Amino acid sequence: MLVKSLKRFAIAPLLLALASCATAPEEKVSLLEQVKSRGELRCGISGRLPGFSYLTTEGTYTGLDTDICRAVAAATLGDPDKVDYTQLTAAQRFTALSSGEIDLLSRNTTQTLSRDSGGGNGLVFAPVVFYDGQGVLVSKDSGATTLEDLEGESFCVGGGTTTERNLNDVLQARGISFEPVKFETPQEREQAYLDGRCAAITADRSSLNSSRSGFENPDDHVILDEVLSKEPLAPATVDGDDQWADAVRWTVYGLMSAEEQGITQANIDEQLASATSGADQENAALRRFLGIEGDLGSKLGLPNDFVVQAVRAVGNYGEIYDRHLGRGTSTFIPRGLNASYTDGGLHYAPPFN
Amino acid sequence: MVESPRSGSWSRQLLLRIRRGLFASPLDTLITVVLVVVCGGGLWNLLHWAVLQADWAVVLENVRLYFNGNFPVSQIWRSWSWLGLLAALCILTLMPSKVVPPAVVRLLPLLWVLILPIGLLLLASGLGLEPVKSRFWGGLQLSLLLTLGTILMALPLGILMALARRSELPLLRWLTTGYIELMRGMPLIAVLFFGQLMIPLFLPEGWTLNRVLRAVVSLGFFMAAYMAEDVRGGLQSIPKTQLEAARSLGLSPLLTVALVELPQALRTALPALANQCVASLQNTSLLAYLGLIELLGISRSILANPDYLGHHLEVYIWLALLYWAVCILMTSLAHRVERTLNVTGHH
Repeated sequence: MLVKSLKRFAIAPLLLALASCATAPEEKVSLLEQVKSRGELRCGISGRLPGFSYLTTEGTYTGLDTDICRAVAAATLGDPDKVDYTQLTAAQRFTALSSGEIDLLSRNTTQTLSRDSGGGNGLVFAPVVFYDGQGVLVSKDSGATTLEDLEGESFCVGGGTTTERNLNDVLQARGISFEPVKFETPQEREQAYLDGRCAAITADRSSLNSSRSGFENPDDHVILDEVLSKEPLAPATVDGDDQWADAVRWTVYGLMSAEEQGITQANIDEQLASATSGADQENAALRRFLGIEGDLGSKLGLPNDFVVQAVRAVGNYGEIYDRHLGRGTSTFIPRGLNASYTDGGLHYAPPFN
Repeated sequence: MVESPRSGSWSRQLLLRIRRGLFASPLDTLITVVLVVVCGGGLWNLLHWAVLQADWAVVLENVRLYFNGNFPVSQIWRSWSWLGLLAALCILTLMPSKVVPPAVVRLLPLLWVLILPIGLLLLASGLGLEPVKSRFWGGLQLSLLLTLGTILMALPLGILMALARRSELPLLRWLTTGYIELMRGMPLIAVLFFGQLMIPLFLPEGWTLNRVLRAVVSLGFFMAAYMAEDVRGGLQSIPKTQLEAARSLGLSPLLTVALVELPQALRTALPALANQCVASLQNTSLLAYLGLIELLGISRSILANPDYLGHHLEVYIWLALLYWAVCILMTSLAHRVERTLNVTGHH
């Protein structure tokens, strides 16, 4: 309820309109140029999401979301460490972008029509970096495998979020009665579930996964196969700055394309040497991709070897994924939709031509 | 060891007192037993958990983050030295007045005002040090910085508003009354959201106001309204006859306020003001919900580290201890000031 009333307070469209009137529509310098002349990328992150962005013991940020920031910094500035991170809450993130406090929002933001459109939040989304979806976590003992098995049960859910609405929509459509029990934070939700106040938790599958890994016996709990919603999480930039949006978009595509071609952080220099004066000298597509030939980078306003810089800094998309969400990490999420299209997933980079 | 008869009678007296105080009647006995069982059981469970079940690695491995935030490691001495200076100042203030030279005692208020600018110089830049951006400020250090900033801004503003509220100029009186009532009628979190979300939109293009500064400004404006009311309470406790006496002595209105009214009013308002200071430390934790990495915020970031998943109980108990320790320190400082003022008041 608090969040709801605050949202109403924060999103006063009238005030937004007033603020945009007050600033004269002068010729703006692209954020790409601003980032280059500043020598630093200002990136908005959550900072509180296991696997996506969190603080290490050394006091640095790490995670899938922060690696996207690092890749963009490497592509634009040649140095992945030149990132100025700002922690943002869900309510602040769009204001921070539109007021120019940050250049790039890499904070598990679901791409939706109203966030994309000028009549809404006026964002430009880069390619989806993580396909999430709302899931349901139950204890193994309950024996539930479908939502129908949970008929009449109570669900622990975040109050006032889209999660609650999705649950309502899906269960009502299927005629399943249920009782929502609302909580503000994931911790409260987990505790209530563990105390037996509800039979299931519903949240984004990535968040359920990290909840489960924190439980004493993670194997006693399962995430159902059913997915209640589509949550494509994508980095975003502000509307009306095509040059900057393109630079971010193609940096992300570069990471995905590198995975498709088997170019990794470990073999990038080898590949570069081979394409420059080795076995791959005749491979024009690879030479273009690595910036040895042609001017793909400079068309975007980036160095021609921007992909090389990004991959050398953080690895290809698959490597980023494995580092933070792969098997062996405590936030393991099977790749599923997040595999490259060559492995049956959804990540598919357009040609670098 | 041989027990002397004196100590024996002493222990017997103690037993007697215990019996009289705790087991005087069957009802008293029942209440005592129930309380001991409930509290003791709870405490035992907590201890059992803390010693045997809890994994304190999440606290022990991140001590630096809790205290200094993610301040650059090469510059961390600056953060520690500010916290050290602050601790030294606390100790100096709390020491018995006989031990500390009077000259130092007189300097203390000035030192307390100066500790904030010194902190800013040390932490941000200046003195030829490498600049460190405010996004690297975090943990307890940021909480304390926010608290000090809030108090130093709210206290003078509150005093001015308390005086303005009693002013004979109607416009000034109405404006301050309106402001105070407005601020008191709003929840702090709404004011903070306004500060973090609205101020950037109203600033001209290309202007940015630091997030920490925005937080201090919002907290300060909010606290000032409450402090104004506390000071006004103090002002009202002064009998009118004193003002008449001051006037008949030929003191100007300004001098009457400065020499007669304020010293007494502030002394009366001191317990309430100290209360507000402690509250303002606790209020800083709300900023965790606005993306600042003060003590609570940074703890939430640490909890997101996959290595420490599920250890929030340990972290929150540690935080409770830390906040409690700082609050106790603040209240004892306030007691100290109260005592000092009362002594001088009797002279």
